[in-house]
Amino acid sequence: MKNCYLGIDIGSISTKGVLIDDDNQIISSEYIWTEGNPSLAVTKLLEILKQGIDDTYVVKGIGTTGSARKLIGLMVDANIVKNEITAHAVGTLSLYPEVKTILEIGGQDSKIIMIDNGIITDYSMNTLCSAGTGSFLSSQAKRLGIDIEEFGDIALTSKNPVKIAARCTVFAESDLIHKAQVGYKKEDIIAGLCKSIVLNYLNNVGKGKKIKGPIVFQGGVSKNKGVVKYFKEILKEDIIVDDNSHLMGALGIAILAKKNATDKSYSLDVKNLSFETKGFECNACPNNCEILKIYKDGEMVDAWGSRCGREFSK
Amino acid sequence: MDKVKIGIPRSMYYYYYGNLWQQFLKALDCEVVVSPITNKQIMELGMKYANDEMCVSMKNYIGHVAYLKDKCDYILIPRIDNYGIDNQTCTNFLATYDIIHNLFPIQILSYNIDVAHKETEERAMIELGMRLGCSKQSSKRIYEEAKDIIENQKEKNIQKNMAKLKSNRLKILVVGHPYNIYDAYIGDPIIKYLKKQDVEIIYSDEFNSYMTNRISNSLSHELYFKYSKENIGAIALVQNIVDGILFITSFPCGPDSLANELVMRKLKVPYINLIVDDMDGNAGIETRLESFLDILERKRIHE
Repeated sequence: MKNCYLGIDIGSISTKGVLIDDDNQIISSEYIWTEGNPSLAVTKLLEILKQGIDDTYVVKGIGTTGSARKLIGLMVDANIVKNEITAHAVGTLSLYPEVKTILEIGGQDSKIIMIDNGIITDYSMNTLCSAGTGSFLSSQAKRLGIDIEEFGDIALTSKNPVKIAARCTVFAESDLIHKAQVGYKKEDIIAGLCKSIVLNYLNNVGKGKKIKGPIVFQGGVSKNKGVVKYFKEILKEDIIVDDNSHLMGALGIAILAKKNATDKSYSLDVKNLSFETKGFECNACPNNCEILKIYKDGEMVDAWGSRCGREFSK
Repeated sequence: MDKVKIGIPRSMYYYYYGNLWQQFLKALDCEVVVSPITNKQIMELGMKYANDEMCVSMKNYIGHVAYLKDKCDYILIPRIDNYGIDNQTCTNFLATYDIIHNLFPIQILSYNIDVAHKETEERAMIELGMRLGCSKQSSKRIYEEAKDIIENQKEKNIQKNMAKLKSNRLKILVVGHPYNIYDAYIGDPIIKYLKKQDVEIIYSDEFNSYMTNRISNSLSHELYFKYSKENIGAIALVQNIVDGILFITSFPCGPDSLANELVMRKLKVPYINLIVDDMDGNAGIETRLESFLDILERKRIHE
């Protein structure tokens, strides 16, 4: 029998999964949409991943990451549940041990991780405001009536990117509308937006940091060629974008699951498992917290959402 | 005759003067009513009465006043402008009296602190005692006694804070205004989380303020906000000792947006800035804190 380890990265938009062997090699991987139902998405994901391996493999660890990590961690009985930032760093380091800087722009957050000799030395993340992240780009793409997947290609055709206020999404948006109304070309505005994302990032999470190569750029926005181009131009360094950059989180958490593995074996069969959540408002004090109770096969396995940390009965 | 009932909102000034006020007023034979620790209802009251552009700490303060307004004879609200030249407070500390006066038909007990114009805390408190029916002499004595107790307490807290710097656990300097850090709604979820992760928390406000004020010059000599200077001085003092720095800022704090941004560009130690608004969800905060701690821990293991 050969050991393998499962990593699941459940984001708000997409759910990613990888199975790795003892040498951190990916045996099977999959990427599907979450569609607002993380537990259903994971059930589907596991069905697909199972077909990628034969009977000689036994799953010795499961890790979950991403915004639904806690919920899915309970569902699949994960041996490790970790935030997506740590998972991403671990995943990238396993493929690019020489990397000095990881730039990451996702749907809701952006961060920068500085690494020296494979050790994380510094780190910064955007504040709770999602200015200059993927969600800003996709809402602007919608406003301009173009598909987000074409965004980067259109930006590359521009010769004169317009200047767009980069500090705040609200200002950027009004600047953008103004520039469109006075007659600037669409591709120049799109290129300007890509450039503003880069400038905003460097002024925000990147401020005061010495960005050294090799640089890996990941997260959903790394698929945008326009943004990659302006990072290259402004940093005057080569920017590595891995073809599997969307799987870094899942890969990282699989590696962490491997490190954390015990003798226990896991089943990928969750199809027949009943898993549900019930919300209610606790009225024990004036805080009126919204509590979510998690049931697995009819039995309450956890409850969260209280500010005071009180226990809730089954 | 019934005792005079004086209300103290558990917000903003409370975290600088709460203990002193309680000592002082009780010695003057007044009944003191302190509002409870912030809960959702108080926060919602604040939201209801506050202007939408006020910072979350000010909304919090207004919520506490709204809670107290029918439960006491007077509410104690000072007006604090400065503690000397280049030692300004945030505008809110100057404006609160007038804001509350315009919002609620309540009796306010107030005093001014404007050290640049010789209106000191001592003078203000003695006058306050006299207004509450005490002679100048005994008011002065009561103030001095109360101040002694408070200073002793403060010294003990400072010693405790300093002792934590020798800890072997992961050490994080939490930088922020005490009315944010210690508030049950604003900073407490963050502090609770750190404690659960076995972090040694060092607080920026629990240092000798004379010392932090002076040493802040090494990071910036142009600041004129008293509380920002103290925070930045604490950073200058311990940045080589702690593993990381966590800034807690209330949205949209003016002095912090200037002072914190300024100092972040000069730091040589990992930091994270959490801006807290009246959001209910804690998921974003947890993700950031967990990853921040992971990275500090990994870094420490390799050193």
